[in-house]
Amino acid sequence: MKKILSIAVALLFALSLGACSQAKGPAEAAIKAAEDALNAGKADAMKYIPDQVKAAEDALKAAKDAFAKGDYAAATAAATSASAKVKDLAAAAAAKKAELTKAWGEQSELLPNMIAAIKSRVDVLSKSKKLPANLDKEKFEGAKNGLAEIDKTWGEASSAFKEGGLADALAKAKSVKEKAVEIMTTLGMTVPEAAKG
Amino acid sequence: MADEPVQGKGNDPTDATQWHEVKKGETLSKIAERYYGDPGMYTTIFEANRDRLKDPNLIRIGQKLRIP
Repeated sequence: MKKILSIAVALLFALSLGACSQAKGPAEAAIKAAEDALNAGKADAMKYIPDQVKAAEDALKAAKDAFAKGDYAAATAAATSASAKVKDLAAAAAAKKAELTKAWGEQSELLPNMIAAIKSRVDVLSKSKKLPANLDKEKFEGAKNGLAEIDKTWGEASSAFKEGGLADALAKAKSVKEKAVEIMTTLGMTVPEAAKG
Repeated sequence: MADEPVQGKGNDPTDATQWHEVKKGETLSKIAERYYGDPGMYTTIFEANRDRLKDPNLIRIGQKLRIP
């Protein structure tokens, strides 16, 4: 009787080990698939949707943690969730890239026009014997310094765009637009419609 | 305000060209004084509008002039 019981216990142990190793394989494969997919699109996605990349990374980490604890069912579920998040990354990154590219296109039409108009006015005012009403020497000097600043920042924004740093380029463009509006207002110029609001 | 500079002539919202619509009694010198503080700078406005002005003394009410 004792021998039969020992055999039964050993059999149950073997069965549970088998079941465990059956769950381990799919979990391992699911984690590897999610990790491979994430690594393939991560670099591009990080430029446009870093928060979504982090969510996918967190899901993958949860899968790995569960796997390390031997909870293969949880590991598989977390890896499946990570894979779903990774699958959405490419489309979301492409959409964000298109949105930023469109915004850049608008700024790159508007801002050179504003800078050129300001330069033109500053050139003329520099030759003028007097300044117009509502513009004193101090304000004019401020406008000239501001022009040099936006000219430089616009150059940096253009370089950032060429290097693929769309978000950085747009952040710089935004500061150029705000400053250009301020200078045009100081100089009594009409701000283009696209720069309003 | 009637004396405000006018928006660009075209429909391009990115156009930053500066325009002035000529009012009754205005001369290029007065317009130059208004924008540049110096009536003597009227030649700058005249040169920028050579495509529409033949004579700096002949401007029409309602005419739109580029202000560099």
